[in-house]
Amino acid sequence: MINEQELDNLIICKKCHTLHEKISLPNKKKALCTKCNVVLYQEDKNIIDKTLALVLAAAISLIIAYQYTIVTINIQGLEKSLTVGSLFMVIMENEQYIVGVMFIFLIVIFPITIIFSMLTLLYLMKIKKAPYLTKRLLILLAHVRPWSMVDIFFISLLVAMVKLFDYAYIELGVSFIAFIFTLILDIIITKKVSFYELWDKHTEIYGTIDE
Amino acid sequence: MNKEVEFVRCHICEAVNYDSEEKSLCRRCHSPIYQDLKISYHKTIAFLITAIILYIPANIYPILISKKFGINSESTIIGGIVHLWESGSYPIALIILIASVFVPLLKFLLIIYLLIATKYNLNSSKLDKHKLFYITEAIGPWSMVDVFVVIILSVLIHFSGIQIFPGAGATAFALMVFFTMLSALSFDTRLIKHRKRKNL
Repeated sequence: MINEQELDNLIICKKCHTLHEKISLPNKKKALCTKCNVVLYQEDKNIIDKTLALVLAAAISLIIAYQYTIVTINIQGLEKSLTVGSLFMVIMENEQYIVGVMFIFLIVIFPITIIFSMLTLLYLMKIKKAPYLTKRLLILLAHVRPWSMVDIFFISLLVAMVKLFDYAYIELGVSFIAFIFTLILDIIITKKVSFYELWDKHTEIYGTIDE
Repeated sequence: MNKEVEFVRCHICEAVNYDSEEKSLCRRCHSPIYQDLKISYHKTIAFLITAIILYIPANIYPILISKKFGINSESTIIGGIVHLWESGSYPIALIILIASVFVPLLKFLLIIYLLIATKYNLNSSKLDKHKLFYITEAIGPWSMVDVFVVIILSVLIHFSGIQIFPGAGATAFALMVFFTMLSALSFDTRLIKHRKRKNL
C-alpha cells in the first residue's frame, strides 16, 4: 500500500477508466489519455481568474435569457411571444404539473444553481477563504451538473422554430441571443476547466480538510 | 507500485481511491464512494424497468393535441414523425426520430447489455464497457428534445382559432427520460471491474 497522499499523483480517465500516473506539465499544456485521447488534465496558472471571468459573463447572460422575450411569432397579424416565465405558466395552466415542475428544475433552478455556485466557489478560491464551504460547493456541483438541460432546450427551440417557419413570421428576441451567449460560454468553461483540476486547486490552496 | 492494489475513481470529486470492495468514503470529499454492489445493480434494474414501462404510455398516448376551430386532433410521437416526413421536413423528422425514438431505445439496450455483460462475464473488453457506459451517460438527456418542442409550440400556438396542448404522452415521456437518467446514474462502474476480476 502506498501513502494516501500519493494517490493524488494518479488519475483515472473519465471515459475508459484507465489508470495514469500524473507528470508535471509546462504552462498551458494538456495531458491526454493513452487509450482514448480524452483530456485528462491541463496546466494553467491563471485558471481561477480566467474561469471566474467567463462564469460571471455566463451568469449575466443567463439572467438576461430568463428575463426577456426569446422569440415572437406573427401569424397573419396575430402575435405571440415566448419567455421562460410564460412557458412555465402555460404548462401549469394546461395542468401538466409534472412536466412543469421538471421544466422549471431542468431549465431554471439547476442551471442557476450551477452558475452561482461556480461564481461563489471561484471567488472564494481566489481570495483563499472558506475552505469548508468551497468543498461543499464542489460536491453540490458534482451532483447537480448532469441535470442541467439549457443546451437541449435551445436545440428544441430551433426545432420548434423550423416547424413554424412556413406558417409564421419569426422575430428573434433579446433572450435568444443571450441563450446563444450562455451556451458558447458554457462550452468554453467546460473545455477550460475540469472538476478534477478544481479539486486539485482546492487541495493546493487549502490543503486537506477533515470533516 | 504494487499492482495488486485496485483503484477506484470517486464519482463526485474524481479522486483516485483504494478500492476496498465495501462501502467506503472518499478520502477527499467524504462522499460514499459507492454502495453495496448488489444494491447498485438492483437499483439500476428497478429504474430501468420503470423507464421501460413508462415508454409504453409515452408512445401510445398523444404527446401533442391540436385544436383547430374546435376540432381536436391528437398525434403521438411516431405519428408526428410520419407527418413531418410526409410534409417534407426531413431534417426535423430525423432529429425527432433520433432524439425521441433511437436515443431512449439505444439507452435501454446499452444498460441491459451492460447489466447482462457484467452479470455473466461476457467476453468483451473492460475498456469497451467503460466507453459504452460513458456514451450511455452522455446521450441520456437528449431525448427531452421532443417534450421541450411540444411545450414551446403550446405557448406559441395559442390563438382563438388554433391551439396546441401538450398531451399525456409528454408527461410519460419526461418521466421516462428522468428514470433512464437515474438508472444510468445508479449503475456502479465498479461492477464492470469486479465481475471480471472474479472470473480471473
